[in-house]
Formats: sequence, structure tokens, C-alpha cells
Amino acid sequence: MSLLQEVAVGEPDPIRPRRGTGSTARIIGSKVLRAVVTLAFVVVFNFFLFRLLPGDPIGLYTRGRNMDAEQIAALREELNRPIWEQFLTYVRNPFDPGIDSTRFSQPVWELIGERIWPTLLLLGTAIVLASIIGIWIGIRAGWKPGSRFDKISTGTTLTLYSMPEFWLGMMLLIVFGVGAFGIPGLFPVGGIVSPGVDTGSPEGWLNVLWHMVLPCTTLTLIYLADYSLVMRASLVDERRQEYLMLARAKGLRDVMVRKRHAVPNALLPTITLIFLSLGFVVTGAITVETVFSWPGLGLLTYEALRGPDIPLLQAIFLLFSIAVIGANLIAELLYVVIDPRVRQ
Amino acid sequence: MSIATQRRKAALGRFWGEFRRDRGGMTGLVILGIFIAVAILAPILIPADALDVTKADGERFDPPSLGYPLGTDESGRSILVLLAYGTRISLTVGLAATIVAMVIGTAVGIMAGHFRGVGSHALVGVTDWFLVIPFLPLAIVLATVLGPSTLNLIIVIGITSWAGTARLIRAQTLSIEGRPYIERSKALGAGNWHQMTRHVLPNVFPLVLANTTLTVAIVILSETTLSFLGLGDPLAPSWGAILDRAFSTGAVSQGAWWYVLPPGICVVLVVLSFTLVGRAMERIVDPRSNAVAA
Amino acid sequence: MIRRMIASVAAATIVAVPAAAVPQAQAADPVVFTVGMLADVDSLNPFTGILAESYEIFQLQYATLMSASSADFTPTPALAESWEVSADGKTWTYTLQPDLLWSDGVPLTANDVVYTFQRILDGRYEQRNFGNYVRNITSVTATDDRTVVMTTKEPSPIMERLAVYILPEHVWSSIDGKAVKSFANEPAEGEITVGSGPFLVVERRTGQFIRMVANDNYFKGRPNVDELVFRIYNNPDALGQALVKGEIDFASGLTADVFSTLEGQEGITTYAGDYSGFNELAFNLGAATSDGKAIGDGNPHMQDQRVRLAISHAIDRQQLVDKILDGYGTPGSTVIPPLYSTLHIDPGTQGYDPALSNQILDDAGYAMGPDGVRVGPDGVPMRYRLFVRSDSDSSVKSGEYFKSYLAAIGIEAEIKPVDENALFEIIGRGEFDMFEWGWVVEPDPDYQLSTFTCAKRSYEDGGEIYADLSDSFFCDEAYDELYAKQAVTTDQAARADIVKQMQQILYDDVAYVVTFYYDNLEAYRSDRFTGFVGQPEGTGSLTFQYGTYTYENVAPISDEGGTTDEPTAAPSPGATDEAGNETAAEETSGGSNTGLIIGLVIAALVIVGLVIVLVRMRSKSQEGDKE
Repeated sequence: MSLLQEVAVGEPDPIRPRRGTGSTARIIGSKVLRAVVTLAFVVVFNFFLFRLLPGDPIGLYTRGRNMDAEQIAALREELNRPIWEQFLTYVRNPFDPGIDSTRFSQPVWELIGERIWPTLLLLGTAIVLASIIGIWIGIRAGWKPGSRFDKISTGTTLTLYSMPEFWLGMMLLIVFGVGAFGIPGLFPVGGIVSPGVDTGSPEGWLNVLWHMVLPCTTLTLIYLADYSLVMRASLVDERRQEYLMLARAKGLRDVMVRKRHAVPNALLPTITLIFLSLGFVVTGAITVETVFSWPGLGLLTYEALRGPDIPLLQAIFLLFSIAVIGANLIAELLYVVIDPRVRQ
Repeated sequence: MSIATQRRKAALGRFWGEFRRDRGGMTGLVILGIFIAVAILAPILIPADALDVTKADGERFDPPSLGYPLGTDESGRSILVLLAYGTRISLTVGLAATIVAMVIGTAVGIMAGHFRGVGSHALVGVTDWFLVIPFLPLAIVLATVLGPSTLNLIIVIGITSWAGTARLIRAQTLSIEGRPYIERSKALGAGNWHQMTRHVLPNVFPLVLANTTLTVAIVILSETTLSFLGLGDPLAPSWGAILDRAFSTGAVSQGAWWYVLPPGICVVLVVLSFTLVGRAMERIVDPRSNAVAA
Repeated sequence: MIRRMIASVAAATIVAVPAAAVPQAQAADPVVFTVGMLADVDSLNPFTGILAESYEIFQLQYATLMSASSADFTPTPALAESWEVSADGKTWTYTLQPDLLWSDGVPLTANDVVYTFQRILDGRYEQRNFGNYVRNITSVTATDDRTVVMTTKEPSPIMERLAVYILPEHVWSSIDGKAVKSFANEPAEGEITVGSGPFLVVERRTGQFIRMVANDNYFKGRPNVDELVFRIYNNPDALGQALVKGEIDFASGLTADVFSTLEGQEGITTYAGDYSGFNELAFNLGAATSDGKAIGDGNPHMQDQRVRLAISHAIDRQQLVDKILDGYGTPGSTVIPPLYSTLHIDPGTQGYDPALSNQILDDAGYAMGPDGVRVGPDGVPMRYRLFVRSDSDSSVKSGEYFKSYLAAIGIEAEIKPVDENALFEIIGRGEFDMFEWGWVVEPDPDYQLSTFTCAKRSYEDGGEIYADLSDSFFCDEAYDELYAKQAVTTDQAARADIVKQMQQILYDDVAYVVTFYYDNLEAYRSDRFTGFVGQPEGTGSLTFQYGTYTYENVAPISDEGGTTDEPTAAPSPGATDEAGNETAAEETSGGSNTGLIIGLVIAALVIVGLVIVLVRMRSKSQEGDKE
């Protein structure tokens, strides 16, 4: 799970075939198949795990009102079908619009659909910013390992990487949202938009942007720590190989050649690792959205924990898994398509 | 046997000598030492009464003062006391969960690397599955099913953290098993168990150790996050639980930075220290540079 | 750079407002009263929603036959101008107000009443929320446009408290028994939900807000504000900040901490209103099914009244109020809150006295053991499982206090946090010794009192034990008799008497240790609005009442009312004027998505661009190699 571990050890998995044993299409096909199988296991896991839960969501409904046993039994009948029947129903369509959230009395996928955009906006922006900044830092640091820039940036990014992201968010909120240590609280303390503001207008966009500053900063700082460390390690690795290779084959060449080889070669594993780290990104989103009351999927997850709202948690878990498996697949396919070493 | 033991002792000595020269690693070790000391000494130096809500007589949400160096919480208890006790819980859970993860990870890794056939493929498949699935949603789902307690937290974190180790150990196992002396021992009739425990395990052990240290760092971050979301024991003041309390009692809108800053700094320091130590160990142990041979 | 942009946008808007205000033919800016709350409604469909927030919207949108008076909860006329009961107490005749209209102009007649009640009587899903009101009714008929006659099996005082929302037949008749389960009752764009209450839902954004407009046809007269908006905040912090910054005019359900920070702030008035809720420490009084079959594994010590009495004396209720509620509450006594002044009693005999607790336990034969834990006469040590709700801060905190109080008298309590669903199951199966929870009590005490009857204990079905209403498993013949009696006593004074006797029984037996009655902490912008009505007036909660008095009465203070931006915090772009809001708001749902989609497309293009650049660099370097 730790990207640091992967990169520190250096070599990618030695078992993954470095020589293509067949056509590109076949390789792509097998990877897609693996992704589908992984996803299938998520669905099965989802179903059985929650059936283990000793809970009876309907019980909580009846606590608040006066109903006789007959009425309760009638409601219970609907939920007490044999388990294999329930399994088949669920597996046939996990996206069934009939699955209701127990907390919101609304179909879970409808709820998710409503809340997905703010998350995409926040995460998307943070990922793009963090990639650009993180890669730049990583390149400069990895270019001259041991230099002052390298020492300072590595120390900073390591510290950022060791931070719980929600804690960083809370501190930023206290200092810049509420105001502390003499700094006035200029930013909003939560939400995505001020009440009464139309989000379709340019002022609305500005307002959303203003609300997005603090949560986005939090996430960007956390993500860029990860990306820059990976980029740096990847570049240091690559340069070592490059240097050896060049030294053996052609003697010392000028810096231009090194730049044409080292950085692009190092960039590829970094880009793919950015895709692979989507799981890490998602984790950060849940807690940061909670701290900033950002009405996305992360906050929805936190709200679903009260009760807990099992159908909703199941659905969110499924969605996040799909996203991460998809991102992994893209990363693997990128490798196949871009890295010629795999195809030869 | 004793020759092997002697050689291992010498290797350990060399390892320590090299470690001492690594500044990052030593800094980390010192910081860890301080926290471990606090964890051990807390119940001795601080009366248990200080945690009792019915006896707390500080003002609520008081900023740091002479009597309360880190201020008070919403019940009037000293935050410094909470942090000290929290150290015990965070470190204990961190260690326990890491042990669970490492045991599972190492076992799976060695077996997956050693055996061939369907069993091995299945193990690799399971490992890959756990690697792909995003950590927090999975942990949330598991913790919800199991219920809020410290033991369940350890189990959940252990279950979600072993896969990275397994993959690493498997790769190491494969490379080790390619070595000639393993072939020879197999020819001499050494069984699976003997090979795995006598040959593979001692060889992967240094890597396991380095990996363990890095894993603790991640585990402590995970525990902090899960406690913050309310999935741990709400009565145990781990650092994450303290932050959860701070968040839900409105420390943020009151500007009570003393409730939020210290627990986070503790987490950062401990995680950073483990990371530094782990990285130092890896640098020494990395098979590509100078490996410590058994 | 951002600040300059904000300043320029704000400047532009300020310039725009006076320009819009000039044409006198235009109506003035709509007066909007914004309420902030901590949870979203679960559904706008009155047959589905069960949360308090949902009920607040229901009662604003749909009037009932009668409501509870703001003075003291007595039944007062609402849609029904008057009613009378026959001599045998089994026939009720309700006369509706004259000239009632639905918000869309269609007359509101007895037919709508009959339709609503008949639908509940015949329906299955509809019974969920309203079953207990129609339990006794045998028939409902409209004898003319303004008269409804209902007959009951037994005389029933609940016929004067029918909190059933009368629904418009011409709208709801097209939603059948199957469709009603998934019917959201949310208006389409530009539409207004048809109702008869003071406000009507016109827009809902899940997790964000619910917007309501004043009903011109409201039978008590149009409210003083034009719009009512409920905004949802997911933590009390944000709620408090929003009030300070002027984003909302009223905050409900604040926590003590946030409430304290709001006190004394300029323009804000804080109000701790009496509420109809209480929290308790409950015991396993001998878990059994309604047939009397014992279930679960509760420690038998809990069935000893002396143990419970000792525990009651060991709890410092005042400290709980001071520390957990920050003083905003009252120490608890009986299960009918003091808010209901005609029904509540306070025997006052179970005060904080740990010395007395120790005495009681010593006398009862629970000797102190060497490790500080008492041992019962049966040889079993006093170690009990005390469940608290992990998702409630006050429950967890209460647990910490209980543990300490009990330790002081030699009882070791193992605090076990579980989530609410799990606790409900555990209680139903009797697998507990003690737990902490709470109730909110309706004006009609029947429901609350029923939870202590033998019949409301768990029941068995197909080998499984299911929880019913009773979480104490209290079962007493004398109590059950009194319960049956009050259920058919329509004379209010006589009924109150019986209810008091029942409370005394429960108190003396220590069925619960009622820890405290918590206040509903509210705060509002007294510099903008006035006309808040508590229930009971002067001391009770201003919102989330059994009625809509504040909403009907509230009026802006200045001529230009509504939520304007206050200079107390940083200028927020776009928050200055409300005039543009009505029309602009209709575009929001489409607009926000467009903006976000554009942002996403840009991000995707950037990533694709990066990949293309990579491929290009790779091929270039390959060529370079060949040199």
C-alpha cells in the first residue's frame, strides 16, 4: 500500500512479464479480464459482509411510533426472504434503483448521483495541482540529490506525508477560516457555496472557488507530498541506470542527452503511480470533506456512518472500488501502450 | 548451528554500526524513544484520576496556562494528560495491528513465493485484491460490521495493511529461492517447511524488519483516521479520538487550537520517526546495494 | 488577486441593487427567513419521513384537524373549528372552518379529511407513521362539506389529538398504495407543492436546503415572511458560524459549546428552550417476551429494586447537566417532562447521596469486596455491562460519568459503545444489564406510557426474538390496569390524575433513572426578526414544537427584511442581494452541473495532453538513440 515502499525497493514486480508473450490486444484483454474479476469479488464481498451484520434497520423505524405487532410483521416480511434469493437479486443488479438508503429514504444511487460532482470537482482540481507541483518538485530534487533544495523539499514532503490530512484541514480551518494567531478568518468555515448564491453564474463559480480554497489546499499539499517523493525516487533511480548505461556505452555525453532520457523515463512510472494512488486520494477525500462540510461523496460516507446506513455504505464502497480498479486498469494499459520494453 | 548464529550476530553488529551513521534514522529513533518512555511512564507519573470526568475541575476550553500547559478540553481535563495516555493507546494499537499485518503478510508472501500451482495463484490473487481495493472505504465497511472497539480496530487495520508486505516478501522469496544453495538443500531432501523457515525466512528477515517499521507508520496514520471517523472505542483517548472529540465539540469554531494542534503534532512526529528509521533500515538492507547476508 | 476580484464583484452588485429597487411597480424584495438545522429531512413524503426535521416540514405544509396550543399543549382548533363527542364517547363530530382552500385554490372539504383517514385505515404503508392515531377508529364519513363524523370502538382521548396531516385528495388520489412508497413529494421545477399549511415546499436540494413559500390561502392568514428556507449544516460549529456571518437568521439544535460562544454577540439572541425530551439510564428489569418467556442474559441484580435505587442515588444529575449540557437542562425525575405542566410530577426523593447508596447496598446484603467491587447475596460480583451509543457524544460522555459514579459505590460498570442499530437489537434480545438512551415525549402521554406495559415487550416470531417498544421490560399488573383506564378516559383532569399515578409507580420502582431533561438550544438574529413564539410561551422551544407558531408569527424588523450580508465577516461574492435569487435559483440545478462538467473536461484534457507529450518525448528520445 505504501508507495514509498514500492519505490524504495525500486524494481517493479519481477514476475510481471517484461516480454510480451502475444499481441498487444491479448495483453490488454487479459488485464481487462482481471479487472472485471476483481470487481466481481467486490460485489460478492459486499453482499456477504453486510449479511453478517447483526442488525435490523427496520427496528429503528418502529421505535418512534406506535404500531401493533401485525403492522410490524407485515413490514418485516418484505425483508425476510431466504438469503440465496437476496444474493441473486443483489448480484443481478447492484445498481438497482430500488435500493433505498435507510437514513435518507431515497434510492442510494440517486443520492450518490447528486453528491458525486462536488467530490469530482474537489479531487480533480487537487490532483491536477498536486501533480504539476509535485512532479516539478520531484524533478528538481531528484536532479541534484543531496542539494539544499533536495534536502529541504524532501524534509518538507516527508513531513506532509506523515500528516493526517484531516488534521491539516482542521488547522487551516482554524487559522484561515475562523482566525487565530492574529490572522483574520477570511475563508468560509464550510460548505460549497454561500446561501442564496446561484451556482450557475460567474459570481457563483467564484463563490464556489472561494469555498474550495481551503479544502483544495489541504488535499493538494497531501497529494503533492506523495507525488513528489515518488517522482524524486523514480528520477534518482533512472539517472543511476542512465549514468551507468551511458558511461559504459558511450562515455560521458552532455547534459542534453541525459535530460532527453532520464526525465521522460522517470515520468512514466510516476504518471502511472498517480493513477495507482487513487485509493490514497479517495481516503483523503473522505476525511477532508467531513472537516470542511463539503457536500460530496466523502461527507456522504461520514453521514452514512450514523446508524449505520448499510445500503448506502455498500453502494459507496462499490463505487470507490470501481473507480480505483478502473484507474489501476488505465495505469496498466498506459504501461502496455507507452512502454515499448513491455511489447518487445 | 552456532556458526550461523555467530555470523548473524556479527551481521547485526555491522547493521547497527551502519545505522548509527544515518542521521535521519538516529533522529527518528531518539524521538521514538521519547514517546515510548512517555507511554510507559504515563500511568506512573500521572494519577488515573486526571482522566476522570467527574473530578475534572479545569475551565472548559481553556487556553494553555501554567496549571494546564496544553489547555483543557470540553470537560475541563488537561489536554497534556489526554495526550500522554493517548500515546499508550496509539502506540499499542499501532504495534498490535502491525504485528497482525506483518504475520499475515510474511506468511502469505513466503508461501506464495515458495509454492507453485493453484494455491500460489490464489494467494497472489487475494494479495492483489487487497492491494487494489481502496483502504479507507474497505476499513469503514469492516469496522462498521465488527463494531466500535479497540480490538476490532486492530483487526481491521491488520486485515487492510498486510498486502503490501506480502507482495514484497513474495518477490524476495522468489529471488532467494533462485539461489544455488536452496537448490542443493532441496536435492538433499529438505521439506517445504524447513526451506521456508530455515532458509527463506532468515534471508527475508532484514527486509521484513525494515518493512515492518514503515508499516507501523502507515498503521498509526490509519488508526488516527479511523478513530477520527468514530470507528474506534470512543472512550479510549487515542490521538485520533482526541481529534474526533475536538472536531465534534466545536473546537474549530471556538478557535481552540490547543485542542487540535498537539495531537496532530504527536502523530506527525511518531509517523515521521518510524518512516525515517524504516528508510534508514531499507538503505542498509536493500538487496541491490550491500545486502546483509545470513 | 482573489480579494480584488471579490471586491469588484461586490461593488458591481451593490450598484445593481438600488437600480432594481427604483421601479415602484415592482414588488419589494421578498422577505426570507432562513433557519439552519443539523440534519436533512429523510423524505418530504409524510408517509415516509420519520425524522424530527421531516415532521417540521410536514406540519408547515399540511394542517391538521387540531393542534396543541402554544400556551400549554391543550388541543386547539386548526382545520376543525370545533368538535364534539357523543354521550357514549364513541362518536366524534368535527366541524371544519368555513371557506377553506388549498394553496392552489381548490376548496378544502370534509372529503379531503375522509380521504386521508380512509387511506390510512385501508393502507399498509400509510399505517407506519399514523397507525396509532387510527387504531381505534371504525369509520370515517363526511356528512356534508364541512362535517366529518368518526366512530371508535372505545372512548379514546386521542381523538382530540389527531396529528394526521390532511392531504389534498385531488393530488394524492393519483398515487396508489404501491407508488406511495417511493413517492418523493418533491415539486418539479417551477411548481409549488399543494398544501394547507402556512408554507409550501417549492424547491429542495438534498443535503443543502429546502425552500418554502408563504401560502396566501392559509386559513389563519398569510404569514409575515414571503419565504422560509431551511439550510442544512453537518456540524454544530458551521451552524454557529453561519448565524454569526449572517447566512442564516435562526439556528436550531445547537450544542452547548457553540451556544456559549454565541452568547453576548451583537445582534444575536440565544435562547435555551424547554424541550419535551429526556435521557435515561435504563435497566434490564427481567427481559421477557410479551408471553412471559424469559430471554437474554441480564444480570438478575438489576431486578432488585434496592440496587436500582442505590444507583439512582449515586448519580449526580446536576453535575451531568452542568458538564454535559453546560447547564442547559434540568435534572431528571419522571418520564413525563416538566414541559407538560398539567401532567408532570417530581417526587424529589432520589437526590444525589452516595452515602445513602452505600447504606442501601450494605443493608441489602451486597457486601463490599476486597477489590472495591461489591458482591451480591448470590455470590455474584456487581459487574455490569452498560451500553452507550457510539454515535452520540452525550451518550459516550454520560457513560464516562456513570462509570465513575458507580465505581464510587462499589459497582464496576463495563462501558460498551455500540451503534444505535446494534443497541436496538441487543435490547430487544435482553442481552444487556444497563444502557443509556433518550426519548422525546408527545403531548399525548399514551405512547410514552405504553412503552412500560407488559404487552409492549419483545415478541417471538419464527424462532427469532424481535424488539418491540419496551426497552425496560417493566411489567406490572397495577400499572397495566391504569394504562387501560387512561386510554379510555376523555375527561382531561381525571386522565391527568391517572397519568400522575403511573409516573409515581415507575419512579418508586426506579424503572428508569431519568438523568436530565435537555433544553433545545436555539439562537437567532434579533437585529433582523422578531415575533418568536415558544411552546409553552416564554419558556419552551421556538421551533420543532407541536405546532408552527414561530413561523406563522415571525416578522422582519426593518422595512427591507431578508438575509443581507453583514459586515461582521469577510465579504462573500454574490451574497449581497436577494432580489436576483428567486429567478436565478431556478437555474441552479442545471447551472452548477454545467460549471462542474466544464471543469472536469478541462482536467481530462490536461491529463490527455500530458500523455500525448509523454509519447512524443519517448519517440523523440528513441530517435536520438539512433544517432
